[in-house]
Amino acid sequence: MGSASERSYTRRDTLLFLACLGLSIVALFSPPDWGHGIANALRNSVLAPLIWLQARGEEGRTGRDRFRAVTAQRDSTSYIAQGLPSLLAENERLRQMLALSRRVSTPYVGAEVLHQAQATDGRTLLLSVGQRDGISAFDPVVAPEGLIGVVLSVAERTSIVMTWAHPEFRVSAFTVNGNASGVVAPSGAGVEAALEFRGVPYRDSVPLGSLVLSSGLGGVYPKGIPVGSVTGVAREQTGWERVYRLLPAANPGSSAHVLVLVAPTGADLAPAFPTDSALRALRRDSIARVRRADSLADATRLARAVRAESLAAVRRDTTRRRPPRARARPDSARPAPAKAPPAAPPPAPLPVPGDSAQ
Amino acid sequence: MMSHRASRLQLVLVLTLLLVLHFYLRPRLGSSRVSPDFLLIALMLFAMRSGPGAGALFGFGVGLISDALTPAQFGAGALAHTLVGYVAAWGRSVFFADNLLVNAAFVAAGLWLRDLVLLVASGTGAGTLLTELTLYSPLQALTTGLFSLFVLFAFREWFSIRLDA
Repeated sequence: MGSASERSYTRRDTLLFLACLGLSIVALFSPPDWGHGIANALRNSVLAPLIWLQARGEEGRTGRDRFRAVTAQRDSTSYIAQGLPSLLAENERLRQMLALSRRVSTPYVGAEVLHQAQATDGRTLLLSVGQRDGISAFDPVVAPEGLIGVVLSVAERTSIVMTWAHPEFRVSAFTVNGNASGVVAPSGAGVEAALEFRGVPYRDSVPLGSLVLSSGLGGVYPKGIPVGSVTGVAREQTGWERVYRLLPAANPGSSAHVLVLVAPTGADLAPAFPTDSALRALRRDSIARVRRADSLADATRLARAVRAESLAAVRRDTTRRRPPRARARPDSARPAPAKAPPAAPPPAPLPVPGDSAQ
Repeated sequence: MMSHRASRLQLVLVLTLLLVLHFYLRPRLGSSRVSPDFLLIALMLFAMRSGPGAGALFGFGVGLISDALTPAQFGAGALAHTLVGYVAAWGRSVFFADNLLVNAAFVAAGLWLRDLVLLVASGTGAGTLLTELTLYSPLQALTTGLFSLFVLFAFREWFSIRLDA
């Protein structure tokens, strides 16, 4: 008995296998359209939930990829944004430099301050211009804020600038109101980045905050370059002179671009360096000009819009068919005379409003 | 002694889990050419615990699914899986089906055989056939065998697997 049931079991299995094998072979050698039809039917019915599941899985993978891409973009943006403040500052300085170059009346050469590998004390700067650019020794170097120094030595493509922090730096100067003159020199050792306004006669007192400009004496620095502003009295010799402490106008350490004034003439450069209040006024003036221009542009735009609207209205009126003009009866237009002359022509019809538009 | 009905329910649960893993987890695993084939594991587990006819029928169903979802020659997957299901059910009486490693190796061999039949029936060129059978199929067989090892270990009580391999 056992062998008979085992045989039947085996026969059934074989039949099943042969049936499946036969169906598979039929599917394999059937026309492609049949296969596509069966596959489509399966995908749209039985396999629809599985395909939905697979789509969710694919979404998870692509979502992870998208997340990585977005993270990379965010990191790149953060990296760029980190440099943005310094770029803005440099942009602002370049704008100031551009404005200065427009105001300066003497010949000049724009130069970039080269970064040095070693930490320097700011007494000298290395510029990217040299003899090839027309630079020569003792050419003044200025920044938008004021005097930086003077060219100390020149090479073919570079030059070295002695800044106002150098111990040998001297410039003849006077206060902006002209009541005192003297020589500006760097402070002694131990004093942090300051200048001294020396040789001011004891009888001349200089108010705090006074702007000190180069006087043009000596032939090196043109007249009118801001050197610093008075912050206090450093020392005084009774009956002889006062030495004032100055806050330098320009900081060589933060200068990335400067102007080298080549062959400076005796012209007064004070207008090229307006004071802060003047700059503010200029800025306000430019803002007012922009606002005026904006209002003019708005008015022009409005006028154009109104004109376009009126033209469109006129076109609508002319393209629309007019109703037939009512004939004005002469008796209704004006009172008829008691006795009209027989030869008189009939009265003309009254003008209709809108005729002028035609 | 576990009843026949409970054993069948456990098998259905494991097969359902493998089905879900195949369609939900596999797309997330990266390269589909070497990631484990959960459907084939399900087929092998079913075939090794049923008769050759049922194995062939189950293989035919799995093959139809793969034919409907992959842009290959329609019918090739059904043929390959039918053969694998039938052979796996017969092989159960030949090999030590209760051994963990033997089961895993059996799954890996089934995958390689499936690929062989599938590629030949699809009319794949000799170069591609050689590359597939010597590179990608062994890699996928390895990953599939390893995952089947994990499944058999996790459900060893249900499948009565010996761990003294």
